[in-house]
Amino acid sequence: MSWHLDQDQLHRYANHTADDVTAMSVEAHLTHCAHCRDRLPTDDAWLESSWADLRDIVDRPRLGPVERLLGVMGVREGTAKLLAATPALYRAWLIATVVVLIAALTLAHEVPRGTLLFSFTAPIVPLIGVALAYGRGVDPAHTLTSVTPWAGYPLLLMRTCAVLVPALLLCTVAAILMPSSATLYEAVFWLLPALAMVAGCLTLSRWMHLSLAGGIVAVGWVLTVGIMALEGVDPLLLFSSTAQGCWAIALTLLTVAIVLRVRTA
Amino acid sequence: MKFLRRSRRRVPDYDPDSPDPVLLTAVAAGETDALEILHRRHAPWLRARLRYRCSDSDQLDAALQETFLAVWRNAGSFRPRPGDTDAGAWLWTIAIRQLISQLRKRANRWIAESEPEPYETIGDASAEDTVLLNIEHGPLGTALHELSPELRSALKATVLDGLTVREAAEILQIPEGTVKTRVMRAKARLREALTT
Repeated sequence: MSWHLDQDQLHRYANHTADDVTAMSVEAHLTHCAHCRDRLPTDDAWLESSWADLRDIVDRPRLGPVERLLGVMGVREGTAKLLAATPALYRAWLIATVVVLIAALTLAHEVPRGTLLFSFTAPIVPLIGVALAYGRGVDPAHTLTSVTPWAGYPLLLMRTCAVLVPALLLCTVAAILMPSSATLYEAVFWLLPALAMVAGCLTLSRWMHLSLAGGIVAVGWVLTVGIMALEGVDPLLLFSSTAQGCWAIALTLLTVAIVLRVRTA
Repeated sequence: MKFLRRSRRRVPDYDPDSPDPVLLTAVAAGETDALEILHRRHAPWLRARLRYRCSDSDQLDAALQETFLAVWRNAGSFRPRPGDTDAGAWLWTIAIRQLISQLRKRANRWIAESEPEPYETIGDASAEDTVLLNIEHGPLGTALHELSPELRSALKATVLDGLTVREAAEILQIPEGTVKTRVMRAKARLREALTT
């Protein structure tokens, strides 16, 4: 740049007193001359407050992919955050689920009748996730959330959804990868018992801590399977079509009980 | 997770004296400090320049804020020409377009916002720019002084601000055809004044 604006021109320009032609000239020069831009008189107080406003927006945490996806699906911002934050509570469970399912898959492919292990673990995987999703001692922010209007059933059901979706997805993927998954029944036979037990756990949580309720239902399941095996009855009867009907009825009844409870709560 | 996001793009070393392209690379990598340096460096003159085009300081500050938010989001799209260490022209194209969209918002709020066009640096200094740089010292100064304010503002919007005819029509609030004829007449006057 061969020449620079003098102080007087800069002052008149900054104070909005320059005439049209001078202003045009100054602007054409300023676009390309960093030196003169720096010398332009500035209002420091304005600069500070302008930056403060800008920083408020810029510093907001960026949305994660899950939250953005939920937002696209029309979920409200706060709800999306809540759903996306839930997995942090049960990350260990999520990893454990993947490990258990991989172990069950390997076993099913390597050992004769190895599919049995999957049959009896798949129904309780979602249950354990739900048991770990809400309550004192599990959620580090429980003391805080328990005083919000969301606490209680709305939050519990929200968290249950956040757990059920990944759990059911993982189990379905594992079921499809099973060596014998020829029919639709082979892929989803575990679904009704799993949902019925989750509903049972939620119903029990009315009287006790959610984790305890989950534990009781899970132990009940394991005991039933164990006793049936000891008595010489085929535990796979738990998945027969008659049993599926019973599971469906139980699921319906328990869901109605939960809905009634939420309505009156 | 934050750590992962950060490491995806390498953050260049920068300090308050770094050239604009370095700072913009840092902004693209998510550095708010680099944005602050850019804001401190460019906000004052952008504001002064926008003030000559809009007297409402609320709209002006809103446009300026949108400008730096656009920089924050689009810093990665800045492509300096070789040897160019200055983003002034690029920032100005963003700022003037944000001002236009602010004015449009205020004027007809019921019209849906159209997608902003991608920001591009104004091309190499045209012959007119080069002449304008020396207005004070050349015969053009006198010629410009003699132009009517209407012709001058049309010339200013299209030549100096790098706006399209449509954008110029919006900011000057006159029909597009009028902008075209005014620019043509202004250029003819200037050519006349410079050749005689």
